[in-house]
Amino acid sequence: MTQFKDLDPLLHSQLRLAIISLLMGVEEAEFTYLQTQTGATAGNLSIQITKLKEAEYINVEKKFRNNYPLTLCSITPLGRQKFAEYVKALRNYLNPDQK
Amino acid sequence: MENEEKLMTGEESLKIITEMINKTKMNIRQSSFHLLFWGWLILFCSLSEYLLLKLTNYASPWYIWYLVIPGVFVSLIYGFVNGRKEHVHTYAEMVYMWTWMGFLVVAIVLMVYLNLEKRYDLIPPFILLAAGLPTFVSGFIIKFKPLIFGGASFWIFSLIAFFGGPSVAPLTVPVAMLTGYLIPGYMLKRKNGHDTV
Repeated sequence: MTQFKDLDPLLHSQLRLAIISLLMGVEEAEFTYLQTQTGATAGNLSIQITKLKEAEYINVEKKFRNNYPLTLCSITPLGRQKFAEYVKALRNYLNPDQK
Repeated sequence: MENEEKLMTGEESLKIITEMINKTKMNIRQSSFHLLFWGWLILFCSLSEYLLLKLTNYASPWYIWYLVIPGVFVSLIYGFVNGRKEHVHTYAEMVYMWTWMGFLVVAIVLMVYLNLEKRYDLIPPFILLAAGLPTFVSGFIIKFKPLIFGGASFWIFSLIAFFGGPSVAPLTVPVAMLTGYLIPGYMLKRKNGHDTV
């Protein structure tokens, strides 16, 4: 049976899970979009994005648009794989009888 | 979103995943602009050509179709400018855009082939046949039935244009614009109150 501890600790956090879930459905998203959708503060979001980036779950690209800084985030193949494993582990945890 | 380190239950995790994935559904703000723009442009060109042919002695009524060339640029620029304003690009939007870009290529190639072969009579049925696919697929992407039926109506009018003979064929394009682009376009615009068309 899957234990709670088997869930990827990097993804098993509200904000990081929300970021990864949002990035699963999009090609890329701006920092401001992630902030609006998650309702997180810029500082907190920035910290969590850095953690996901350091683990290579997401790519972060910094650009300029009309002289304003623009941060674009996208999920990496590793991020997709870890998300799929997390969902599978979560399913096993919630329904231990199902394979 | 609350403190990131708060311990979540499995149910909470599932709720966050579902909520966030639902938020990345396609933004359909741009869709009705293109449907209405092309619906009116093609309706105008096809009806003008028909009327010029019937009511005047003008030798080259098909010149009116040159309006389509600036139309392509208007559509591309509108899509590009508005695309840059979006803070996110979903996969559905990418599929939507590239389906139409694919159609643009198919339409240009078809026009070149049919003009080289001087088979002007085949332009309406072939273009309607080709236009049905992106319209039909777009309807499924944005989950909008009138557009799905609109795409299917193009295929029906393509058959009518092919088998209907020269008296019926020229009128299939303007009528198809009503069923395929304009009616779904206005319904979509009404559905999306924020549309800026």
